[in-house]
Amino acid sequence: MTGRLLVAAAAAAIAVAPLVASTYHVLLMLPFMAYAVVLLGLNLLFGYAGLVSFGHALFIGIGAYTGAFLTSHCKIRSLEVILIAAAALGALVAAPVGALCVRYVKIYFGMLTLAFGMVFHTFVLKFYRLTGGDEGTPFLRPSLLGRSLEAMPKIDYLVGPYYYYSLAVLVLATLCMWRIVHSPFGLCLKTIRDNPAKAETLGIGVTRYRFHAFVISAVYAAVGGALLGPPIGNVDPTLAYWTHSGNIVFMTLLGGFTSFFGPVVGAFVFIYLQHWVMSVVPYWRLIFGAILAAIVIFAPGGLLGLLEPRRAAVRL
Amino acid sequence: MRHLSQATRELLRAHGPRYNSPRYDRRQILGLAGAAAAAAALRFDVAPAQAQGEPVKLGVVAIRAGIAAPVGAAGLRATEWWAERVNKAGGILGRPVQLVVEEESNPKDTVERYRKLVLQDKVEAVLGGISTGVTLALGPVAEDLATPWLSWDGTTQKGVEETMPNPKWAFKSVDNEVEAIVAGILTPKYFKGIKTVAGIGNDYSYGHDCWQSYQAVLKRYVPDVKFVLELFPKLGVTDFTSHIAAIQQSKADLLMCSFWSGDATIIMKQAAAVGLFKTMKGVFTTAGGVHDSLKKEFTPEGLLLGYNTMYFDDPKGGPLLKQFVREYKAKHNEYPPYECDHAFFNAESYKAAVEKAARGGRQWPEKAAVVKALEGLEVESLSGRRSWREDHVQMCNFYQGITTHKNSYDFVTISPVEVVSTKQAMKPAGAKLFDWINGWKI
Repeated sequence: MTGRLLVAAAAAAIAVAPLVASTYHVLLMLPFMAYAVVLLGLNLLFGYAGLVSFGHALFIGIGAYTGAFLTSHCKIRSLEVILIAAAALGALVAAPVGALCVRYVKIYFGMLTLAFGMVFHTFVLKFYRLTGGDEGTPFLRPSLLGRSLEAMPKIDYLVGPYYYYSLAVLVLATLCMWRIVHSPFGLCLKTIRDNPAKAETLGIGVTRYRFHAFVISAVYAAVGGALLGPPIGNVDPTLAYWTHSGNIVFMTLLGGFTSFFGPVVGAFVFIYLQHWVMSVVPYWRLIFGAILAAIVIFAPGGLLGLLEPRRAAVRL
Repeated sequence: MRHLSQATRELLRAHGPRYNSPRYDRRQILGLAGAAAAAAALRFDVAPAQAQGEPVKLGVVAIRAGIAAPVGAAGLRATEWWAERVNKAGGILGRPVQLVVEEESNPKDTVERYRKLVLQDKVEAVLGGISTGVTLALGPVAEDLATPWLSWDGTTQKGVEETMPNPKWAFKSVDNEVEAIVAGILTPKYFKGIKTVAGIGNDYSYGHDCWQSYQAVLKRYVPDVKFVLELFPKLGVTDFTSHIAAIQQSKADLLMCSFWSGDATIIMKQAAAVGLFKTMKGVFTTAGGVHDSLKKEFTPEGLLLGYNTMYFDDPKGGPLLKQFVREYKAKHNEYPPYECDHAFFNAESYKAAVEKAARGGRQWPEKAAVVKALEGLEVESLSGRRSWREDHVQMCNFYQGITTHKNSYDFVTISPVEVVSTKQAMKPAGAKLFDWINGWKI
């Protein structure tokens, strides 16, 4: 009950943020909401299926480049079309990648996803005419629900309609993921994570379930990647680089992969912590490295794990 | 980080209302700002919320990590030097300068830092930006936020094409390919009889664009020249053994290299180890950015070496350059690279534009009036007179010359020094680069 109240309070706070918070802090909420969508998907793989991907920036990149390509080259500005296209392309690429990766677990799975991520990074870097190479591709302002909103100042657009659009996508993504993880499919994933041999003997197709989880998580990452694009305005290969994959794993660990909302909290804390630490000290990467080490050693359940120390470490 | 030098701190202490004073809370300052707004309403071009003597905040975005960190550090040091100098002289229109420094990293994070500077820190202008990959994203953001942005070294070029031909708030660096064009002009002057050329550059837009531009220019001067090899190693590579072997194998008369960071030093060392430049001429368009690491022991005489827009040892350099080089060396124990000149010019031209827009008065002008004043403005920079073109692109001189060991340093310098203006080596506003080069009368 307390948990539900907290979630409701957080949702209400996010909803009223544009009315009470400074413009800059509202703008920071945009990458938070985009990453929250990505991390909900990543945690299906990480927290529920027990597979750590170090290549999910690949799918963020696919989402972001899909939006950039459609708006810049195809004159398609509808964000609904962009999100659907990003999700479809994410699934399309995830199918062969996932089919190969989910045959392996632990470090082998991580390394394979990293390798595919870097293949995509090299692709966007090298295919200059298609992707703009290191200079990237502009992500032009998308229309929302058929409304162009082109005349509106960009900042007003971002902290107004785009903010609430992102929030709606996040809420929808959260509800869908909640249904997924509480469905028989989600229960099977947890069984596979905890004891794959036993799951196999129970008749659960381990590889098939992992594959489905991989594709769903890729779709979430692609949708989140598409949401990341408009606030930046230009999509570039750093979005698909392995350090970006590392960042989202860090966010998941920070918030706690053992809880449904842990990664979402991780995204929020990461973004605001980065905002604060970057302005205070040039060696912010060192501080983030120390935080990561501290979490892994002292709080493997992440921030949400710290709040409920008495409960079992893995509660998904 | 609020980046205050000692001199700035002292000046800030000397001017009221003080930045860190506990006597003023946010509401009081807003109240004062409101009163100032009412007073300033008498003139339409006067910014309302600026009390005289209150520090003027200038945002700075500088690379502070990775391969380009030394370049960012040089730009930041020059900006700090400028701020100390301005504050000692009484600030801008009586207001001391306060720098607010943020990191330039990837486009996404830098856009967020940029917005913080304008929306949260309320800076009057933002200085800096080096990587074109980042500044391509910053350009439209600067236009959205309606605050002047003066880029040190970043452009809004996609390849060699301008993406923002008519910006209102964005002021950009010289076109990326200018130093390659200058080198293309000087190559036939110093290396007569060149028939075959090999090229090496970093595998990203800058490397490719420099190579294309250099070829186009050299072809105009030496129509029968052949380009026999092109290599594009990844930025950050430290082993060029195989590349050097391929260059030797090509038996080219000349090697053109557009490396600008530590890789220029590394390839020079590795080339020296196999005596590459005993049989081949060399053109290093941009290696002057790491000039004091090009030690005499491995950097031969007779190479064409580019210093971009500032040559620290320019025999014709003015007293400002000499003072800067002396103080920079004393403080940082190295000789300043060209990024210092870009940074100094940006800051100095901003100051001059504010003073011009104030029309001799002491009232702080509107941002739009400052932008108007910047267009076409010429000021004294470290390298001499520099200006802003009407389409917000820097105009300046480029320095290149032939490496020599005849100096008192342990690294090479250049003699003679060639000075080529952007009026000659940069495409005019609105022109297509290769059409423009092909249209030259030679």
